[in-house]
This record gives sequence, structure tokens and C-alpha cells, in this order.
Amino acid sequence: MIIDKSDIIENTQIAEGIWRMVFKSVEIADRYLGAGQFVSVLTDDNWEHPIRRPMSIADVNEDKISIIYKVFGSVTQALTKLKSKDYIDVLGPIGNTFNVDYDTFYPILIGGGIGLSPILNLSKCLVQKGISITTIIGAKTSKEHFLQHNPNKNMFLSTDDGTIGINGTVIDALNIVLKGVKNPKIFACGPEPMLFSIQKILEEKSIPAQFSVESYMACGVGFCQGCVIPKKQNNEYYLVCKDGPVFEANEVKFE
Amino acid sequence: MNRLKCSIGSIEFNNPIFTASGTFGYGNDLPEFVDMSRLGAIVTKSITYEPRVGNPPPRVVETPSGMLNSIGLANVGIRIFIKDIIPLYENIDTKIIVNIAGSTNGEYIKVLKELESVSTDIVGYEINISCPNVEFGGMELGVDAKLSNKLITELRKHTEKLLFVKLTPNVTDITIIAKAVEDAGADAISAINTVVGMGIDIGKRKPTIYKTYAGLSGPAIKPIALAMIHKISKVVSIPIIGIGGIVNYKNVIEFLLAGATAVQIGTANFRNPNAGIVIIDELNKYLKENGISRYSELIGKLDLYE
Ligand SMILES: Cc1cc2nc3c(=O)[nH]c(=O)nc-3n(C[C@H](O)[C@H](O)[C@H](O)COP(=O)(O)OP(=O)(O)OC[C@H]3O[C@@H](n4cnc5c(N)ncnc54)[C@H](O)[C@@H]3O)c2cc1C
Ligand SMILES: Cc1cc2nc3c(=O)[nH]c(=O)nc-3n(C[C@H](O)[C@H](O)[C@H](O)COP(=O)(O)O)c2cc1C
Repeated sequence: MIIDKSDIIENTQIAEGIWRMVFKSVEIADRYLGAGQFVSVLTDDNWEHPIRRPMSIADVNEDKISIIYKVFGSVTQALTKLKSKDYIDVLGPIGNTFNVDYDTFYPILIGGGIGLSPILNLSKCLVQKGISITTIIGAKTSKEHFLQHNPNKNMFLSTDDGTIGINGTVIDALNIVLKGVKNPKIFACGPEPMLFSIQKILEEKSIPAQFSVESYMACGVGFCQGCVIPKKQNNEYYLVCKDGPVFEANEVKFE
Repeated sequence: MNRLKCSIGSIEFNNPIFTASGTFGYGNDLPEFVDMSRLGAIVTKSITYEPRVGNPPPRVVETPSGMLNSIGLANVGIRIFIKDIIPLYENIDTKIIVNIAGSTNGEYIKVLKELESVSTDIVGYEINISCPNVEFGGMELGVDAKLSNKLITELRKHTEKLLFVKLTPNVTDITIIAKAVEDAGADAISAINTVVGMGIDIGKRKPTIYKTYAGLSGPAIKPIALAMIHKISKVVSIPIIGIGGIVNYKNVIEFLLAGATAVQIGTANFRNPNAGIVIIDELNKYLKENGISRYSELIGKLDLYE
């Protein structure tokens, strides 16, 4: 892990309220271990926003690192103002990676909302290795999608309003996909209610899964002890930055 | 020439920049790019007798120029601390101060005695009296001068090492508490701990922190901290360790002028784990450029209007 003032190569809007930023960091790329890891960014030199913002790594191509972010509040708004040739202060890479035992399982990847970053990253890695997978990406409406719905290529989009792909949530899409595959293992990232629903379905069907989870974090290095998620086994907590962000689905509890 | 040499009690520190409790872990398991031997000292996160898992999330949230936290004193407990973490300190030069918390007087004493019973390189203790005390109806012990005096008097009997007492700002008059712990034999006063605050998420109609009330830290509390340190400096003669919203060397100088002998860096570590080290370099440069041969020349040198 390192802090690097990285040169921005590209920062463009790719769907409604969704942006992709590509920056260059040899230091971070050198230390990068795989899909699931994230970085944490700072946008200002003053202290109006003291806390970094965690962002999953969507792609690493040599020394070029991509993040995909949704505009939420002040800091993600400020991110959209940055241009190529500006720099961004990035801490990373942080956390662990998805662990894909693709020999034994058929991977189904699910990304909901801003949870699509690590899923796209994982999907690219697996496809490059020649592994066949199915990917499900959910959003509220078609305007938030920047990928193509293509069931023949095992790429399913879902929208809450039915404007593209499967009408409903990623859960509806998952139920359709599950009918056609043997020995699935799920890799998912998205809002907590989505992961909670997936967890319940998979428990009933005894399907294994890995989740990349989120929790409000102040440091990303284990100092603040802020970014906890309850353990399923007992009343203790995991730290998302140190123990995660990827966990086996049956390790974590959503409340 | 070391312009930053700093002495408190019988101990000499390389510089007056320490890390604040709960913002730098135990000083083990640091990011690779942090050279902690450069720091004047590390204050560990609060250690309690039993391990504590801490509070449910959300535990932290950003606020304008600051943050709220309610971690719930999550820590490994004194036995694991002694067994697994203390040995790691043998291989490092940095001075270690162990912050102790407890929910009864007896708990503080037990933790201190355990530490005294093993031979360690620890230079001292910082007593966190800002935690809820069950013998005091769940209120913070640090709001009551008599109880604070009693606890520190007792702890003083059990150690000759440095004894810092960390004060809460959530009191009517901090100088009364400061005086009470000085009288009890404290070697220094650390001030301030976090300021009680609260945030509300209007969408969820919930507090932003699980425990409703939380501790505010960061630049937002610096004016409060400065005023308190200045007031304390008028009533005590032991050194004051200034804490609260320090993010750069200029802030350090403010605290020195207000009367602090050393400072602790808290929230700034979250943004950059090297914050303290950057500040040490900046401060050194400032002293050099301004021909100040010892940083201590700045302590209490505030030029008041009247
Ligand atoms: C491990 C991890 C990976 C993430 N990956 C992505 C990603 O790839 N793309 C993306 O768009 N978003 C991602 N997020 C969420 C992203 O960090 C927040 O959307 C962002 O911080 C919002 O900041 P803001 O100032 O715009 O909004 P604010 O108004 O400050 O916050 C809006 C909401 O964002 C969340 N948030 C804010 N600050 C933090 C923080 N320091 N830590 C965690 N959550 C926070 C909270 O839920 C908050 O209510 C990730 C979060 C985590 C924990
Ligand atoms: C996340 C967090 C955890 C903290 N934990 C402790 C603690 O365990 N014990 C303690 O005495 N102070 C604790 N503090 C208080 C800090 O040591 C410091 O007094 C306070 O944050 C003000 O300094 P700052 O503005 O530089 O952060 C904590 C602060 C934060 C932000």
C-alpha cells in the first residue's frame, strides 16, 4: 500500500450519474493483487472533507488504473471536475481479492449499483483466462447502464423500471440464470439489501458465494476501526479494510 | 542540532510530535511507507482489562472539517496486548505510551498493574478518563474533579513511569479537572479528547452513528482545543500535550504558543498515516528558516492583546 499523487488520464461520464476515471500509478499497479481490491481517494487540499473516499478498482492495465464512480455527494461531485493532466491523491491498493476456484464452480458475477466496479474487473480477468461466466448487472433504469444486455453472451442487465434487460432486480435475473447452470458460485458486490437477499436465496439452495462489502471507513489502513461488518459466527466484527472487502457469504451478517 | 528535543518528566523525546490514541493502532501493523521511528512517541489505542469488540456500525462518519466516531473502545484487552504486542516494541526505537481505559477505578488499576508486572520498554501511560464509568452512573469520570483526583492518586502509587492524564472537553470548566489531576501527581495533561456530537441522516431519520452520540474530532474542534489548552496552561505547571485538529506544522505552532509542550496527531493520520512525519519535517524547516534553535522557545509565547 502506498499514497501516490497520480496523473489523471481520463475522467468521463459513461452513464447517468456514473463516471469512469483512469489514472496512472506505477506504484499502485505494482502492488495490485487482483479484482476486489480498492483504492481511497482525496479530492481537496483543504480539510473541508478530511476523509478519503474508497473506490473499487474496476481495471488495471499496466500502470493505468480505472475506477467507476457514482455521483453521490460533495466528494464524488468534486471528482467529476477533475480533468486529464490534473492529479489525484490515491491510497492503495487496499484489501483482499476475490478467490475464484473456477475449476470446480461455474462463476456467476453480480454487480448492483456502484458495486459493478469489482465485478467488471473480475469478469475481465476470468474472460481473459478463457473461463466461461455469467454476469448480471443491475440498476434502477436504463440510463444508468453503459453495457449491453446480451443473454446469448451470458451478460444480463436488469432495471427496476424495466427500461432495459430483465424487469426487476438482480435477484430476478439471478433466479433466471440459476435455472440454466450447474454447480454455480456467486461473486457479488452491491448495496447491503441486495447482498442480504442474495445471501438468503443462496443459503436455501446451498450455493457458495463471495461478497465484496462496503462500510463507512475513515482510514483504509486499520487505524480507525471504523469500517466494521458483523461476523456471522459470533458477536465480533471484521474490518472491511483489513479482513475484506471480500468475504465468504456465510461469514458476514447483514442487519 | 536537534531543535525538536522535548522533555516531559524524566523522559527525553526526539521531538514533540506524538500520535493520538485510537488513530494509529498499537503502532504495529503499519503501512509499509510509515517510518514510525521518526515519531516522538506513539500513544496506543485505549487498552482495557477484557478484550472489547466495540460498537455496531456505523461507527464513523465525516462532518464538515471533521468526523464523528463511536468505536466503543474496541481493543484486544490487556492479556493479548502483553503477550502479542508488547514483545514487538522491543525491536523498535519509538517511545511507546500505553493509553489505559476502564469502566471502574479497579479496572484502570488492574491494567496498570499488569503492565508494571512485566518488564517493558514502555515509557509511560496515558489515562483516558473520558470513558463511561459504571461506578459514576455511566457518566465520564473525567467530568468530576474529586473522582479524577482519586483515580490518578491511586494509579500514581503503582508506577514511576510517566503518567499522562487525558482530559475530556465535555465539562463546564476543564481547569478544575486539570488542577485536580496535577495535584494527584500526573506528569502531564493530554487535552483534548473528542467533543460530544451527533449527526442525523434525514433520509433514514436515524442518527449517522449507531450509538447516537459520538466524538467529534479533526480541524472542526481545533478552536475548542486551543482555548482549553490556553486555559489549562494558566492553572497548572506540568506540561500539556495539545490534541485536537492538528493537521500541519502551523497548527503545531498554534498549540505551542497556547502553552502546549508537545502535541498529538489524531484524525490527520486517517488521511495520511505519515501525517506526523510530514509535520516533523515541516516544523524543523520552519524553525531553521526562522533561526529558532529550540522549538521549546515557542511554548506559551502567545502575545495577548491585554
Ligand atoms: C470498499 C468500498 C468500495 C467502494 N467502491 C465504490 C465504487 O467503486 N464506486 C462508487 O461509486 N462508490 C464506491 N464506494 C462508495 C463510495 O465510497 C461513496 O459513494 C463515496 O464515498 C461518496 O462520497 P460523497 O462525498 O460523494 O458522498 P457523501 O455525501 O459523503 O456520502 C454518501 C454516502 O456514501 C457513503 N460514504 C461516504 N464516505 C464514505 C467512506 N469514507 N467510506 C465508505 N462509504 C462512504 C455513505 O454511505 C454515505 O452515506 C465504495 C465504498 C467502499 C467502502
Ligand atoms: C476513530 C477515533 C478513535 C479514538 N480512540 C481513542 C481511544 O481509544 N482513546 C482515547 O483516549 N482517545 C481516542 N480518540 C481521541 C483522539 O486520541 C484525539 O484525542 C481526538 O481525536 C482529537 O484529536 P484530532 O482532532 O487530532 O483527531 C479517538 C479518536 C478517533 C477519531
